[in-house]
Amino acid sequence: MRHLSSSPWPYVKAVAAIGCTTAVLYLLRGSLASPIIALLYLLPVVLSTRSWGLGAGIVAAFCAFLSFNFFFIPPFYTFVVHETQDFLALVVFLVVAVIISQLVGRAQSSLAEAQAREREATHLYELSTALVGLRRQETIAHKVAEHVRQVFQAEVVQIALTEAAGKPAVTFRVPNSELPLNAPASHTIPLVTARGHLGEIRLWRPVQPFRPAEERLLQTFASQAALALEYGLLAEVETRAKILEESDRLKSAILSSVSHELRSPLVTIKAAASSLLGEEAAWDSSAREDLLVAIDIEADHLNLLVGNLLDMSRIEAGALHPKRQWDVLAEIVWEVAGRMRRLSEQHHLTIDVSEDLPLVPVDHVQISQVFANLLSNCLKYAPPATTIHIAAWVEGDQVQVQVSNQGPPVPEEHLERIFDKFYRITLADQVTGTGLGLSICKGIIEAHGGRIWAENLLQGFAFHFTLPLVWEQRRSPQLPIEEA
Amino acid sequence: MNGRPHILVIDDELQILRALRTILTQKQFRVTTAARGEEGLALAAANPPDVVILDLTLPDVDGIKVCARLREWTHVPIIVLSVRDSERDKVAALDQGADDYLTKPFGIEELLARIRVALRHSAQTQGATEPVITAGELLIDLPRHVVTLAGEEVKLTATEFKLLAYLATNTGRVLTHQSILSHVWGPAEADHVEYLRVYVRQLRKKLEPDPDRPRYLVTEPGIGYRFLAE
Repeated sequence: MRHLSSSPWPYVKAVAAIGCTTAVLYLLRGSLASPIIALLYLLPVVLSTRSWGLGAGIVAAFCAFLSFNFFFIPPFYTFVVHETQDFLALVVFLVVAVIISQLVGRAQSSLAEAQAREREATHLYELSTALVGLRRQETIAHKVAEHVRQVFQAEVVQIALTEAAGKPAVTFRVPNSELPLNAPASHTIPLVTARGHLGEIRLWRPVQPFRPAEERLLQTFASQAALALEYGLLAEVETRAKILEESDRLKSAILSSVSHELRSPLVTIKAAASSLLGEEAAWDSSAREDLLVAIDIEADHLNLLVGNLLDMSRIEAGALHPKRQWDVLAEIVWEVAGRMRRLSEQHHLTIDVSEDLPLVPVDHVQISQVFANLLSNCLKYAPPATTIHIAAWVEGDQVQVQVSNQGPPVPEEHLERIFDKFYRITLADQVTGTGLGLSICKGIIEAHGGRIWAENLLQGFAFHFTLPLVWEQRRSPQLPIEEA
Repeated sequence: MNGRPHILVIDDELQILRALRTILTQKQFRVTTAARGEEGLALAAANPPDVVILDLTLPDVDGIKVCARLREWTHVPIIVLSVRDSERDKVAALDQGADDYLTKPFGIEELLARIRVALRHSAQTQGATEPVITAGELLIDLPRHVVTLAGEEVKLTATEFKLLAYLATNTGRVLTHQSILSHVWGPAEADHVEYLRVYVRQLRKKLEPDPDRPRYLVTEPGIGYRFLAE
């Protein structure tokens, strides 16, 4: 809005405009009557107001008044006026010039105000569209800070949030930097909602003070931001409550499924250990050996169960972050096969995984868990003395793995669901296991960006899974091999 | 070492302390136990042990820190105990100077084997490194840069030899990916596990009787590699 300017330029320009007009009119004075001259003088006055503001307009009006008097009202070249009607004309001219200046000025300033309001509304609209649907405190704070910085041309904007609903106090800063701020904020606006104080917005802006309109806009921004933050906070609390409820349900399901599973190895261990401790029977060495082996195997079994439970809880909590590295798939397979040698003694295990497959970007420990679970599933369901086969090959951008056995087929309708938690085809008492193994495989493979499925073969049954060969936009590295 | 080797066990689980004390005493070791980190550090200073068995989760001090503080003044072998899936802690402990790790639950035979390796290793490091390392049919002549398998010379590239030599001079010890890479390839390459994978695979093809079931160059899943001599 251009009102009364502190810079001298508009006044100088206004005076110059009148000067020019006077010069032109002076040259034409022979052919122009003084009323026409008065009218023509109004032109630069109005233009000055329009272009340089009300102050310039009024200055122009006075200059025009004086020039008119000096050059065009007899006696010429003096400010003296003899005729009453000339005097009247001069006064009317001055009044008209000033009034027109004011009118034009007011129209101008209300236009500027309207434009400012429109800009405000646009900024506000942009901010609220940007905040729609945001739930996370950080994203909201970031968006707000960015908008504030842009709209108010601040150097740095900081949003400090106080501790709320179990979330610690945090500070966000735009542009992001760790450098300490050496001056206090030039402006601070609290973020307040009906429920209380959420924090504040701090601005660093060199020189320019805040105009009232800006002040108002900043207030509105702050209340918008506070609302969005509060909404996000409430949504978060609600989600947390839902997660708690869900995990409660899961926990009781796990407890009921697992307590049975944990008990059976314990029964064996307890029975074997107490009979070894018992004095009355002097066990011969082979019976002793049998009992001790039983304890050892069942302890391993318990360990596997507990490991699976831990994995499951991690998958459920979304905390299964694979620590990926380029690895040799064959090495993982052989290592698992070695570890499970004793459990797989009654089956033939054949492995066709080439050492020369490209390196795969995987979490070694998690993928060996997948192989262990798939193998243990095969061992459980395939009859003794049959073959279990592990194969892997490259298919496009991924490597595909097949773990097959000669066990009974699985009805088609179950093929999808065997990867669900606690899902079993057979009754719980007939086969051991928590029903967690396959769902853990699924969780791990999906966390690696692969896919897992099962299918019936002509003779037997197979698990398949894929692992991507591309990681962080890189394909498996190929190294130049040096010559000996 | 006055006869029986002295083992310090630091673990907060009293059942494990009791079991280890019984078993290790029976195996002719002198055993001291501590349930807290500070207590363990004080015991180690008062009566220097020959091997430390250290649990990583302690009530007062972080096990990794205990490792680091022991390493400030002693080269005693440290065997770290930890639960499954804490590779990051294990790697941190190994990088802080631990020599080996065992995942709970572990078999006692395994623990005894690791203690034997640790004792042998500490006896070795007190003298100079053997210039010629033998493991089964494998013979590594460090000064001459020659490797023979059952008497036949095996041609190795410069990097392969450097890698094998580093692993073999630390026989029995777990070496993390990071430490191997920065020793053999230089600190700038410490993140390129793929180099290691490729070169270990090549070495196994040249040295192992069955590369799929390695005897000498053993993988420690998610942690690193270990050279075994027996």
